[in-house]
Amino acid sequence: MRTYGRGISRRLWGQPAGRAGLLLAALLSLMAVGGGALRDAAPDRMNLAEKLQPPSRRHPLGTDQFGRDQLARILDGSRRSVGAAVIVMAGVLIAGLTAGIAAGLVGGWGEAAAMRGVDVMLAIPSLALALAISGLLGPGYANLLLALTLSNWAWYARLARSYVLLARLRPDVIAARMAGIGWLRTAAGHIVPGVAVRLAIVATLDLGTIIIGFASLSFLGLGVQPPDAEWGAMLAESRLYFSTAPWLLIAPAGAIFLSVVAANLIGNGLREADE
Amino acid sequence: MNPVPRILARMIEMSVTLLGASVLIWALLPLAPGDPALRTLQAMGNDSPRAAEVKALREQFGLDRPLPLQYLAWLGRALRGDLSHSWQSGKPVGAELARRLPATALLAVVTLFLSIALSIAAALISAAFYRRWPDRVLRAFTQLAASLPGFLLGLLLLQFVVLRFGIGRIVSAGSIEDVWLPALCLSAGRAAEWGQLLRAGLLDALQARYSLVAAARGATPWRILLRYALPNAMPPFLAAIGRGIGLLLGGVAVIEAVFSWPGLGSLAVSAIAARDLPVIQGYVILATLSYVAAGLLADLASEMLDPRLRAREA
Repeated sequence: MRTYGRGISRRLWGQPAGRAGLLLAALLSLMAVGGGALRDAAPDRMNLAEKLQPPSRRHPLGTDQFGRDQLARILDGSRRSVGAAVIVMAGVLIAGLTAGIAAGLVGGWGEAAAMRGVDVMLAIPSLALALAISGLLGPGYANLLLALTLSNWAWYARLARSYVLLARLRPDVIAARMAGIGWLRTAAGHIVPGVAVRLAIVATLDLGTIIIGFASLSFLGLGVQPPDAEWGAMLAESRLYFSTAPWLLIAPAGAIFLSVVAANLIGNGLREADE
Repeated sequence: MNPVPRILARMIEMSVTLLGASVLIWALLPLAPGDPALRTLQAMGNDSPRAAEVKALREQFGLDRPLPLQYLAWLGRALRGDLSHSWQSGKPVGAELARRLPATALLAVVTLFLSIALSIAAALISAAFYRRWPDRVLRAFTQLAASLPGFLLGLLLLQFVVLRFGIGRIVSAGSIEDVWLPALCLSAGRAAEWGQLLRAGLLDALQARYSLVAAARGATPWRILLRYALPNAMPPFLAAIGRGIGLLLGGVAVIEAVFSWPGLGSLAVSAIAARDLPVIQGYVILATLSYVAAGLLADLASEMLDPRLRAREA
């Protein structure tokens, strides 16, 4: 299964769309990891004397209504915006894998009950569920990440379980069992790795949707709170100034758009590489 | 198995799932911070109610009873349409939702028609001109639309179309003249997704043997596309539309907030800001009901269109 994963990533890199997506994603990750160091202007430092300035040599992306350097805020915000996609994806993968694999291996009543629970979660539209959980927990970055994870993991649990059921019929799994290897070791050695790779591929296809969901809810004010910078929150904060300072709209919108493009390019590439 | 018992079985299964979902949705209230009785009294204008008043209302709401009984009482009231009172305005939640429903229904219907029309037109043109320039241009547009979140499209349209050219209005009245821009924002992503799906289905169908037979019998390419390929490519497309309709109510919140559209989504967003759990609860109930109902309808529609689905189970 490790070779399967490696083969897929090589084929992904071999396609123009997949390669462009990977490069774009690498660029965004680099921004998220090292962005703060690139620009020494503090992202939260206000300077009302320089408010709402158009892009210039001093402020390549202009300044906002508090005179904060927009480029510094975009770079600083990338940590939270890109980080959110990574964290939510990891969260739904871990929760989905754990629940789905446990259900698939346990079988019987436990499995039936767990899958009924998953059905119930899936009956509530995920964005409405995320809104409800946000309303319950209150706004905040960690709360929004939790809300998105809780509202999206059920689908992955169902998929993981169906992959486990398929894997149990595979010759290597049956052979391992017949060789007298216990269930837990068989699962750890033969079932879980393959299911994890397949599920990770599905999650990557969904990455664009996750980024859009996070950006939307963040724009509604449910995520990062002022003065912290984050792309969706920046849009919400400067909304009233778009007509006089359109750069406040274009820079964060462009950043969000590029991250969705990167995710979709990788997703499309993966879909083709997987076939 | 003939269709009536099967539909009945699906509906029973659906009711069980909905019952489970109702427990989750109900749980929002006991999990919420603050005392519902106190919040209700405050919403009704009684800023510092006496302990006796709070206690009386707690008893009236049944909040002193065990949680399972509270759930049953809540469910009974909810089934009769009584969704308790908003913690913000003190008005009944059912009435608030009913007041906001028409605007959202208008938006959803226009969005639906726009998305279906755009996706079918794009898919037909793409399939007819496969790998020629109309197909390439449409695919590029599709990729763009699939990567641009609806609320960003909305903000850009407001900024560069409404303000620059004076087309449309910034604050909508929820009327038919204002519906086009928000509907377009909601449609773009959906039309892109559905169009891709239908295009793939049409291309598959054009490869099938019945298309070859039709061509051999002298059918024109457009006739093959419309008469033979389109119906065969319909079922997965319809299923996607079914899911899409259901998700629409959950997804309108952001677009309604961008366009100040006076619908359920804006209501939910303002309720979340105020942590007004009964209103949020009402919104989630409506979103869930429409999602489940749309899924059922889509299943039935694809069965009617595709006799093979019926035959397989018979």
